Amino acid sequence: MERISQSQLAALIIMFQIGSTPLFLLGKDAGADAWIAVLIAMAAGLLLLLLTLCIHRLEPGKELMEIMNTYFGKYIGYVFGIAYFIYFSYQSVRNLREFGDLTNLYLLPRTPLPVLIGCLLLVAGYAVWHGIEVFGRITQILLPGICAMYGAFLIAIYATGLFDLHRIEPFLDHGVMKVIDAALPEVLLFPFGEMVLFLMFWKFADRKKHTFRTTALSYAGTGCFIILTNLFIAASLGPIAQISVAPFIQLVSQIQFASFVERLDPFVAALLFTGVFIKLTAYFFGAAFIGRHLVKADQRYIVVSVGVILLVGSLWFRSFMQHIWIGFEYNLKYHFPVFQIYLPALILIVMLLRSQLRANGSRRS
Amino acid sequence: MRQFWVRKKKSNKARNGSNKQSVTSASSAGMNQPISAHLPTNVEWLYNELGASSDIVTRKIFDAAFGMEGVLIYIDHLVDQQTVNQMIVQPIIGMAAQNPDVRSPLDGMELLKNKALSVGRIEEVRTLGEALDQLLGGHTLILLQGCQAAISADSAGGEKRPVEEPSSQTVTRGPKDGFTENIHTNLSLIRRRIKSPQLRINSRQIGTQTKTQVSVVYMKGIAKDGVVKEVMARLDRIDTDSIMDSGYIEEYIQDAAFTPFPTIQSSERPDAVSAGVLEGQVAIIVDGSPFVLVAPVTFTRFFQSSEDYYQHYDISTFLRFIRFGGFLVSILLPSLYIAISTFHQEMLPTPLVISLASQREGVPFPALIEAFMMEITFEVLREAGVRMPRAIGPAISIVGALVLGQAAVQAGIVSAAMVIVVSFTAISNFVIPYNNMGNASRIIRFVMMLLGGTLGLFGIMAGVMVMLIHLASLRSFGVAYLAPLSPFMRSSWKDVFLRMPRWAMKNRPIMMSSNNRTRGGEGQKPKAPAIPGHEQDPSPEPKS
Repeated sequence: MERISQSQLAALIIMFQIGSTPLFLLGKDAGADAWIAVLIAMAAGLLLLLLTLCIHRLEPGKELMEIMNTYFGKYIGYVFGIAYFIYFSYQSVRNLREFGDLTNLYLLPRTPLPVLIGCLLLVAGYAVWHGIEVFGRITQILLPGICAMYGAFLIAIYATGLFDLHRIEPFLDHGVMKVIDAALPEVLLFPFGEMVLFLMFWKFADRKKHTFRTTALSYAGTGCFIILTNLFIAASLGPIAQISVAPFIQLVSQIQFASFVERLDPFVAALLFTGVFIKLTAYFFGAAFIGRHLVKADQRYIVVSVGVILLVGSLWFRSFMQHIWIGFEYNLKYHFPVFQIYLPALILIVMLLRSQLRANGSRRS
Repeated sequence: MRQFWVRKKKSNKARNGSNKQSVTSASSAGMNQPISAHLPTNVEWLYNELGASSDIVTRKIFDAAFGMEGVLIYIDHLVDQQTVNQMIVQPIIGMAAQNPDVRSPLDGMELLKNKALSVGRIEEVRTLGEALDQLLGGHTLILLQGCQAAISADSAGGEKRPVEEPSSQTVTRGPKDGFTENIHTNLSLIRRRIKSPQLRINSRQIGTQTKTQVSVVYMKGIAKDGVVKEVMARLDRIDTDSIMDSGYIEEYIQDAAFTPFPTIQSSERPDAVSAGVLEGQVAIIVDGSPFVLVAPVTFTRFFQSSEDYYQHYDISTFLRFIRFGGFLVSILLPSLYIAISTFHQEMLPTPLVISLASQREGVPFPALIEAFMMEITFEVLREAGVRMPRAIGPAISIVGALVLGQAAVQAGIVSAAMVIVVSFTAISNFVIPYNNMGNASRIIRFVMMLLGGTLGLFGIMAGVMVMLIHLASLRSFGVAYLAPLSPFMRSSWKDVFLRMPRWAMKNRPIMMSSNNRTRGGEGQKPKAPAIPGHEQDPSPEPKS
């Protein structure tokens, strides 16, 4: 079986968590206190992460689909499998669409959307084709570059003099409840609650006893990083941040120092590209792995057919605005919690109950 | 060892027989036929087998009066005449004069083998097929009447080039010898550098017609056993009629069939190959080729010149960054220029945009076409530079530089900025020490230009990502191509981007070597002693 090392797992988690999130202002509703909302969401996300890690701990050699098959039986497991297949594909589609639209907006206004999405999908499919090991290696190589670029941006923003802490004062002006309202469940579900996907990947990690520590540390580190970028966006743009489509790009376009470091937005596009690519590919992997269980077919056919599904799915939205609106109005409220909170909780409870029953049974006999 | 490749030969033979396709297969039935006691039968068989070629020399030695009959056979152009005359013919004649009391042919054979012939390598062959192979290998055969064996004495010779400075991988400091076409010279160049009993050389013949000697060189205990076995297994799998250069072998044994990136290193420098062997790599030397293959190899190895280790480490590190930068420029610069000037002009400072726009004002083509024209022109110039007769060189460079460069700009066919971009790209390509990696970048560059010209920066990013995925999926004899970057191996990072001082690299890189990893002892960092005469406290007070 393919193996990824602990450092590759860490890179994967970090890149997956970062994704495209630093480019947006999370917890907009909390206004200037958005970063506190992110902090709260991250803490709550840690609980969700513990939940999924517990599932993994109980069955370290199995991935989500196999766990569901073992504990719910073949038929219910299959139904849940289909549900998760749809969920992973849908997440992948959302990333794909988001990237396509932002590229259309900022980089290539005249290129048709299907071309952009198709190209990105080809690259992602190529990665999935080569398997999880190669994917792990890519994230490991990209990670230092991405970190360096973000670091350079933050320094440049600071050097330009955009960063002003007064913009986010006074803290908690509208009370704690408003911040918590903003954080839960929106920010919790995106991006922190998405770690449920890693139930598909943990199985491949070697030296499994470190998995817990690696995951928790990478998660916490990335969370802090996202808080930092959020703080930067809020403190540098002020109220504009809340009405901008992609505030980080707007922020970077204002960078101007040393008389030649300016107009850096295409570099943000590079960051966006890499982040979205990693996230989209990770979900693509998740969908393909589950697809392999659902339809017992050759992996190559599955990669291609999942790719086609994603392409069609991403062109389904009528516009970027509809895509965002569906995301916030429906998905975050009704759909995502099911997959990110309720189902994992159910799985864990069933696992615990059954292992309890088995323990009792063995004691009795 | 000799025995070994004799065995190999037989297996090749057997394969030919079954394939029934090679020229010799028609008569191969007689290949395993033992040497008969009747001398003329043997001689006639050999003669027929070689088609009575005019360069076969037979000479009758001994006659009936002496008590036995014998014939000496060799192929004129394969042997060293001096060896044959002085070491073989002369002693035999001397023997005939001194020992008239030889009674049986077996007696005479023992005598020849043990006393008379003054050649180092002597063998007894029992079948005609073996005898033929020996003959073709430049040996001299001595056949005796009434004896079911023949003596084969090594007299291989022929013209060979002296050891010269390598032409493709030059250094300013370091050894100046290079491999030649002769495998014995090449093996001796390595043997003389590594005087260790652990250095193992394993030879075989490949090519049913050419019977080219291919030697695998490695350090027992340092190279991974699995890699050595894999190399030999892949070499044994080769079934072809001819090997003209190590390039033939490379294509048969490399890991990925479809990749622009080289997964086997080829070097003309004995010092580089020896250093690789000492780090656990396996060298494959092919007779007739001055390029020695080295495997397994990782991506970053192609950016290390052997000179890095002879120069001071700070400048070596700097140069490595230049090389990696050169590689990136070579792949990406034209495509970035196309993408930015076509799609993302806002990235450039305003004065530069204006200057570029004014240059391109009269240019009739889009940037992509312009760049393609110039790149193709350069590739043509480069190819012409390699193929043309030496004497025409100056003419080509004048035409290339003046007519194509300057005049094209003045005529308004290309912009000056494009000429700068293309020339810098071309020059950057040459900082990569290994030519085949440079070639990979040439091909990828064109793909990137297309992507940059159609999809802008997005296309280039997608292209780079595909390249990364491809690189990450490559392996060279079980070693991940991107190691030690990914999979990450911190202990091997001392010799990738940085070149740490020799005393700091006390372990061999983990990717290639087996568990035996220590190069040298601890505490090798130089510590200068105090200046002689100043060891004591410099101000001893006079006691007065």
